[in-house]
Amino acid sequence: MLCGGIQAQDDSSLAEVKPVPVLTGSTAYFTRVNGGQVQDAPTVSPLLLLPIGDHLLIESKAGLSETFSKNAQGDYAGTVSYGMAYAQADYITKYATFTGGRFTTPFNMYGERLAPNWIRDLQGTPISVPITSGAALGGMVRGGLPLGTDKVHLNYATYFSTANTNHILATDRSTGGRIGFFLPGPRLEVGASFQQVLQQDRPHAVGTHFEWQPNAFPLTLRSEYTRSSGTRGSGYWVEAAYRLSQIPHMGATELVGRGQQFFAAANLAPAVAKKLGPLGVDTNEGDWGLNYYFGSDVRASASYGRQFALGRNANLWTIGMTYRFVMPMWPTGGGL
Amino acid sequence: MKLKSFSAALVMMVVVFALASAKTRDAKDESAKPAATSQSTQHDQDMRLEGEKRFHSNCSRCHAAPPKFPPRMMGTIVRHMRVRAMLTDDDMRYILRYMTQ
Repeated sequence: MLCGGIQAQDDSSLAEVKPVPVLTGSTAYFTRVNGGQVQDAPTVSPLLLLPIGDHLLIESKAGLSETFSKNAQGDYAGTVSYGMAYAQADYITKYATFTGGRFTTPFNMYGERLAPNWIRDLQGTPISVPITSGAALGGMVRGGLPLGTDKVHLNYATYFSTANTNHILATDRSTGGRIGFFLPGPRLEVGASFQQVLQQDRPHAVGTHFEWQPNAFPLTLRSEYTRSSGTRGSGYWVEAAYRLSQIPHMGATELVGRGQQFFAAANLAPAVAKKLGPLGVDTNEGDWGLNYYFGSDVRASASYGRQFALGRNANLWTIGMTYRFVMPMWPTGGGL
Repeated sequence: MKLKSFSAALVMMVVVFALASAKTRDAKDESAKPAATSQSTQHDQDMRLEGEKRFHSNCSRCHAAPPKFPPRMMGTIVRHMRVRAMLTDDDMRYILRYMTQ
């Protein structure tokens, strides 16, 4: 009854909130040393949010980065890269959101939730993430709803994508989806994903994900597993992040560790393995990192990793900062 | 050489802007607290507690707590997260209320 009363009053007051366009996103600067090769990379990733009426949201995220490293002459040279992560229109209803445009493929949890550099606990992307197509151009239905009780929430997403050969906006013709069960009490989520590529050798991929934040400790445990039927192999990663909030004066510090294994597909031709890059060779990797939060928007990060790949072992060092920005694009009328 | 200078300037700009912004935000949060507290009612308190619980269950799984923004900004941000994090309809409403009080 209490919740019902709260809900009824809440609806009327929320109707007065008229959302405004917002520009958000992040900037970052990281220095990476990968097997003795130094790279400096400033990046900016702006995200424009444009709400229309009570149900519609247009969201568009781009990325721009420049990577500096020493060339053969010993001079620093920069390489610019840019792209459109997503540009989508969402129509939101109580139990389903209908999305059209270019969007992040709903497969496991890393690509949609953890990829932004101000969110990810370690800056290196897990090796197994690119096994599946990361972007789609088409339509998607997704949503989250309680399963008859607030103790278990179901979240789901299903999509289809057309092929696009534009070098910036490339996507595969594919379909798939994800289903997850989230228990808000113990803060535990488990889920499974499927993707079927509908072009070339038509590989499919399956994945599972897991995330748990025990209430008793400031600890986050995450894991993903992905297996492809094609040439892109299989792999998993397990990550733990511990915020030192129980230690005086250390609450802004977070310790992170990640272990991962990647298994290349069997019987790969040397030319195919070379073309696949990191997905063409068996790899084991362990990473340890430290994050320090300056307020809620600024974070300094450093990490060390050791990579054991067939024929090539390497030390991986990363140090840098991220900054998440949020600004209105229309008068907000004040408040707070 | 020019690229190195550009890179160094960009880093300095990002760091200075970020630290200044973080400091301003903290100051704004502190000044907003007394007003919000004085207007609390039992209903608001129940809403706040439920919203805080749902915020920690959902949002804190991925990122640190953001500062509180004006309601019209937060309405947009929560709508975005409704889609991205697949929040339920109730979660969105409670979290919006919590983040705008």
